[in-house]
Amino acid sequence: MKKDLLIIGFIVLLIAVLINGTNIQSVDEYYLTHADDIQEDSETVFLTIRCDTVLDNIEDLDKGVAELNNIGDGIILDRVEYVLRKGDTVFDILDRATRYNKIQMEYQGSKENSYGTVYIKGINYLYEFSCGELSGWMYMVNGEFPRYGCSRYELKDGDEIVWVYTCNLGKDVGGYMAGDENE
Amino acid sequence: MNDKMKIFNTYHPLGLFIYFASAIVITMFMINPVMLTIAIISGIAFVLTLTDIRTFLKNLAYEIPFFILIALTNPLFSHNGVTPLFFLNGNAVTLEAVLYGLDMGIMILGVIYWCKCYSIIVDSEKFIYLFGKAIPKLSLVLSMALKFVPVFKRQYRKISDAQKCFGYYATDSYFDKIRNALRVFSCLITWSLESSIDTSVAMKAKGYGLKGRTHFHNFRFHIRDLFLIAVTLFMDIVVFTGIGTDIIDFRFYPKITQINLNAESIAVYGAFIILMFMPAFLEIKEKIKWKYYVERI
Repeated sequence: MKKDLLIIGFIVLLIAVLINGTNIQSVDEYYLTHADDIQEDSETVFLTIRCDTVLDNIEDLDKGVAELNNIGDGIILDRVEYVLRKGDTVFDILDRATRYNKIQMEYQGSKENSYGTVYIKGINYLYEFSCGELSGWMYMVNGEFPRYGCSRYELKDGDEIVWVYTCNLGKDVGGYMAGDENE
Repeated sequence: MNDKMKIFNTYHPLGLFIYFASAIVITMFMINPVMLTIAIISGIAFVLTLTDIRTFLKNLAYEIPFFILIALTNPLFSHNGVTPLFFLNGNAVTLEAVLYGLDMGIMILGVIYWCKCYSIIVDSEKFIYLFGKAIPKLSLVLSMALKFVPVFKRQYRKISDAQKCFGYYATDSYFDKIRNALRVFSCLITWSLESSIDTSVAMKAKGYGLKGRTHFHNFRFHIRDLFLIAVTLFMDIVVFTGIGTDIIDFRFYPKITQINLNAESIAVYGAFIILMFMPAFLEIKEKIKWKYYVERI
């Protein structure tokens, strides 16, 4: 009987640790994000989210997403200026901006994949593979596509971030890198 | 009542196999909740006509936790959907994902019930009769795999009883009980590896799969078998047309679609009801007949 109690105690401890490690937020709490006011001396970056490539491939678009009719003219977030906090990465800005503007966003945490960086699965209900099997989200900073994940890219003052949706492995947005298929 | 006294058991293996294959395959690839509800209710009805209600309730004790596990797992990993309930580590837990999890749970339970009926009705004799000539090795492996769980269960009892006779496992601790079960389980694995080789060697010694070898069997193809196959195939065509032409299309992500209730989709649901409730209906009809005859004696 003593052994049983010990085991039960251990399981309870495990569950407690698990619950302690999860962060549960209500919907209002999640969207209640503070974007700093822009001061004269504050460092800022610009963020745009667009998916206009979908409009060229509308026949491939997932029926469920098409029914939502949320693509519009292909611009989800039109060039907004955000204050850069110290150590902010591309992912931090995206996370803050989507929360602030109540745009749906799903990501895969950096510990959940083998790349060790956050992967953006979907923005505004537009997911990877939602528009053909070569589709997904990519990002560029100052017109260039970095070759690593968005939570590794540390920003500096004046950076221009654009999240684009590709329907063809990046070829249609100019971010195709040869050998990407092998990675 | 014995399994042999079931009317569905007396049908020809070919018709039975076509019937079960279509019922299980259609259920497996369904998302539409109306179709899944039909599949699970008919599956339960069929199971209840084949086994007694006590075994059914006993199995429910395993099946309900399994169902809850599936239903809870989906929203933890799938965050798509327009109705967030709350946020877990920055990702949404949505109503759509919860409902999709429930839908998947119903689907898997439905398939489990239908597979249960399959393993009662289409025993290894029927299976080997059907495929023994065409694919002897695969059909032997499949028939062994399909009766694996019941045989495993029986052997587990035997081993644990035998070991208890030696005086092992006299303990009150639940933890020790689990550990003992694992020990018996490891015996069981060794036994099953050995017995599967024994079986295949024995079958080979009897000339299984050789050219010119004949089988004894009692199966006859009657008009009613033709009728069963015809009805099954016809309903399959209707249901697959429904799947192919989006008549019964249903999506959970990102927003749950309305359930189609026009004339075409009702026709598909009707066809599926006829297909799935056929065996339960036949069994009940036969039971009533039996009772009626008994009363007349």
